[in-house]
Amino acid sequence: MIYVESGTRSLRSFDAQLIFAEQLAARGFNVCIDAEYFPEDPGRGRFYEASKFLADPEEHKAQTVFVLGVEEIDDQLLASLRKKELDPSVPVIATGRFPTQQSYIAAKARLAYALGREVRVMDLTDFQPRPVMAATASPLVSDIRSPSRRPSREFPNVTVVLGSMELDNPETLSCFSRMSSQGGYNLRLIVSGAQNEAIKASPFHDLSTYMYTGLSPLSLAKSTDILAMFGKGIAGVRMAAFAVELIVTGGVVIDCTEDEALMASGAPAVLGPKTPFALDGYLTGQVIGNVAHIAEQAAKSQWRHTVDISRLETAAGLRPKQRKPAPAEEKTLFFPTNGVGLGHAQRCAVIAREMPEAAPKMFAAFPSCVPLVRREGIDCIPLVQRIDTKTSADGNDVLTYRRLSAALRDNDTLVFDGGYVFDSVYRVIRERSLLAVWIRRGLWPEGRSRQSMLRREGVFDRVIVPSEAFEELNDAYSFGNHVHYVGPIVRQVEQSAEEKEQLRARLAKRFGRDFKQLVVSMLGGGVASDRSAQLQAISSMVESRKDCLHLVVTWPGSTVQPAAFGWTNTHVVQTLEATKLCLAADLVISAAGYNSVLEMLYHRIPAIFIPQSAPYLDDQERRAQAMADRDLCAMITEREFMKLERTVTDCLDHGGTAFYQTALNAFKLPETGASKAAALLTGLEARHEG
Amino acid sequence: MSELQAVGRSNAPKIAYVIEPRFSGGTSAAVAAELPVAAQFGQVVVHAITSRTFGGNQHISPVLRRVLDELNIPLIWDAPRINADFVFLHNPSFLKYQDTLNTRIIARDLYVITHENFLRPGGAEGFDVAACLNQIETSAISLRKTLAPISPYNRRTVTDWLATSRVARQWEVLDNDWFNICQSDMRGPCERPQDRRGRHSRPGFEKFPAIADLDNCFPPHSQCNVILGADALLNARVLRAHWKLLPFDAISVEEFFGMIDFFVYFTAPTWQESFGRVVAEAIAAGKVVLTNPDTGATFGNAVLTCEPAGVDKIITDLVANPKKYHDQVAKSQAALKAYSPEKFKAMLSGILSADSGVHP
Repeated sequence: MIYVESGTRSLRSFDAQLIFAEQLAARGFNVCIDAEYFPEDPGRGRFYEASKFLADPEEHKAQTVFVLGVEEIDDQLLASLRKKELDPSVPVIATGRFPTQQSYIAAKARLAYALGREVRVMDLTDFQPRPVMAATASPLVSDIRSPSRRPSREFPNVTVVLGSMELDNPETLSCFSRMSSQGGYNLRLIVSGAQNEAIKASPFHDLSTYMYTGLSPLSLAKSTDILAMFGKGIAGVRMAAFAVELIVTGGVVIDCTEDEALMASGAPAVLGPKTPFALDGYLTGQVIGNVAHIAEQAAKSQWRHTVDISRLETAAGLRPKQRKPAPAEEKTLFFPTNGVGLGHAQRCAVIAREMPEAAPKMFAAFPSCVPLVRREGIDCIPLVQRIDTKTSADGNDVLTYRRLSAALRDNDTLVFDGGYVFDSVYRVIRERSLLAVWIRRGLWPEGRSRQSMLRREGVFDRVIVPSEAFEELNDAYSFGNHVHYVGPIVRQVEQSAEEKEQLRARLAKRFGRDFKQLVVSMLGGGVASDRSAQLQAISSMVESRKDCLHLVVTWPGSTVQPAAFGWTNTHVVQTLEATKLCLAADLVISAAGYNSVLEMLYHRIPAIFIPQSAPYLDDQERRAQAMADRDLCAMITEREFMKLERTVTDCLDHGGTAFYQTALNAFKLPETGASKAAALLTGLEARHEG
Repeated sequence: MSELQAVGRSNAPKIAYVIEPRFSGGTSAAVAAELPVAAQFGQVVVHAITSRTFGGNQHISPVLRRVLDELNIPLIWDAPRINADFVFLHNPSFLKYQDTLNTRIIARDLYVITHENFLRPGGAEGFDVAACLNQIETSAISLRKTLAPISPYNRRTVTDWLATSRVARQWEVLDNDWFNICQSDMRGPCERPQDRRGRHSRPGFEKFPAIADLDNCFPPHSQCNVILGADALLNARVLRAHWKLLPFDAISVEEFFGMIDFFVYFTAPTWQESFGRVVAEAIAAGKVVLTNPDTGATFGNAVLTCEPAGVDKIITDLVANPKKYHDQVAKSQAALKAYSPEKFKAMLSGILSADSGVHP
């Protein structure tokens, strides 16, 4: 294991550690950073980035140690080195930019005191006399020997770093907005927190922006073809590393800084306009048509040798490991998010089943969904659900990021089914150059910010929108060739009359009593909306009916009030075969989620819907209302307890279910969309292979 | 009688000390100890240089302040010019963080006392020696410029460095060691030694060996292990139930010596004491000192030299043989007399009375 240490501890030096660790990892080495270096307030992006490298020193034996930025050394570094009790054979390579010979000697001596032996201290100014950025612990190096890894794109991706640019001139954002609307290139901005706030508060809030720590410099370089840097000087070590990496990998860097900071370092950048107002013309007139030529000239520059990472590797006796050959077949990984219910996982499983059997596929899902997926014969990586604590609100998503990163290789396909695009999903798509598909259900509730929901849509190659059964519910939220509408996606099961009777008989045996009427409640897991009052009301109604059995269906992780267990005729059950239970029931009382409603509809099961109303859910009330308007079901809102009682009685005693059954039987069902969705996934892979 | 003497000029030589008075350790203590001796030979002036090593303040090492007050010697800060027959510049490493010495030195003889080793064990430079000597060289006019090592080990680093340096021809090396005066009152050994071990030093990483060596030196079975100056160990949470770790200055040195019978002193193998005042203090306090051979070389047979792995055996032997322990302390304290003020006076006399080499 290679440890990357730093002379001092700060956000800036931690960035330097992260950048170098990622570069070594990209070269095939096992790298880690002592968790002690993790800053107290690292910011969201670094949290994810660091998760790949942080380790407790007791976990891994050091085989090589790099120490960055030793022009300044604090006692914490020395203590860390001494505590490692390194074997004398472990190479320790330190780098720094030393203003005087004395500072070099002092650094060398202090490291030697801590380790009890001499270490190799490399003065970066020896081979970087004019570094891209002087005051940084980062060696600002790159892999200059690998052939260009730049993918060809129809339209180049242009990234603009605003640096210290002021956004007080309203014309500035207007200019970027015009640039992002033209068709010759894709524009994105890298901005500070304050700049981001200003953009989000402006009419140009739909500009594509990244924060400085949003993605690692390597990932930024991978997804950028042309970089333009504005402001005074270079906006931090991450951007300096980004520029170095981009130049080395065949991209174009335009120096638009006020002080021509990049040009001053001798880097083969091109000198651009110092104002964004002239950038569009410069890009279209001078750069975009000449990218290959500019890159070719840059490739000949002697400057590349000043940033050659192999100097450091050679000093440590490291040999880059052979990259593992790409797996023969690229796989599709489904990541259905969910609360407690199984809707997203169910939908993904339906699509997966429609894909060719031979196509490699797997799932990553929360524990409640794992059995559902595995019984389909598909492998599933378990993820960890969010824990509602203030200290590590994103902790589970960091773990998801790590697991997705470990499971996915470049050019695999990731299918995400969920509403909010987590950082884990967004980052892993960018970092692994994945083909990405977003299965995005509609029917967003009133008041939800469309802007924030769609903020990360651009990361997906395709958006598949599973339709609602009723046309008026199919709102369009975004447009473009990448958005595909498919029919409702619903799991369909068959149950003969004989099977139905057998199931009812098994239930009678299981619960030790005969019944004539079976009522099934599926009111959710109690997380999104508390339905314990409704459950109590239903249980109370059923309790007086001696020939009635009431089953409350729950899922792993559901919150069930103890009171639910106090009834004779009511039993709490957990099953993955809820649809079969519903088919065997005389009455179903359900929440109005996408899957529940469609399953009742497509299986023509009479039901009473009690929509859930949590703000992060879809608009269940609209969905249930649309069905009720067609007399296909009854709908009860969360406060209508009297109506609930009347409706249940009506259904059980006065032929209410028969009424709905007739309407359901007569309803013409829209064509389902699972096979089309599967075809879109397969087609995407084929397009990629082509 | 010359004309100059006729107008009142004394025959006594004018001696100028050039020091950085803010050194907190051995250099200031050494200068403080030798000033009373030097004052017996002539008119002593002490010049302080504000170096970048210690910033802009004018805090003087207390031990030095005390002696200057006792001798009524004024301290002159950053004089633009220093004229003297003899100039003794102590510890040139204080110049390591600057480019120029902004003081002109005009002297018959310039001695630069090399308190800090020029080279570390293994041969790496201890500090930017050439830069420091060049500053002195550029600022000084004198008939002779002499480097004065303070111990046999220190001498070796000076001569080894000169052997590979282009500035060697500018400098002579004094034949005798400009040793530190060790003038503590001698205390006798305890009646029956016990396995009570300890060490004290400044808390720097250079002063401590590897953790495995510390474990060897201070094992669980010894009666007590006191480590004074253990700030870095405490900060890094390198803790052992059988170690008593105390920050530097947590207790007085006298209190510390009262807690131990064996002074076990090893440093990082990449660093070496240039003299080892701490060893001399332990000897004077009546303790048996165990240290590495290079540190021990300064004190001849006054200390027991070994590797950390050999400490246990020696201590076990001496605890079992109190007479042997007493003999060792007696031998040590006798050897310490080589560093008395009288010996220093003799050494200095030789320097001050040497022929200038200039003849009409």
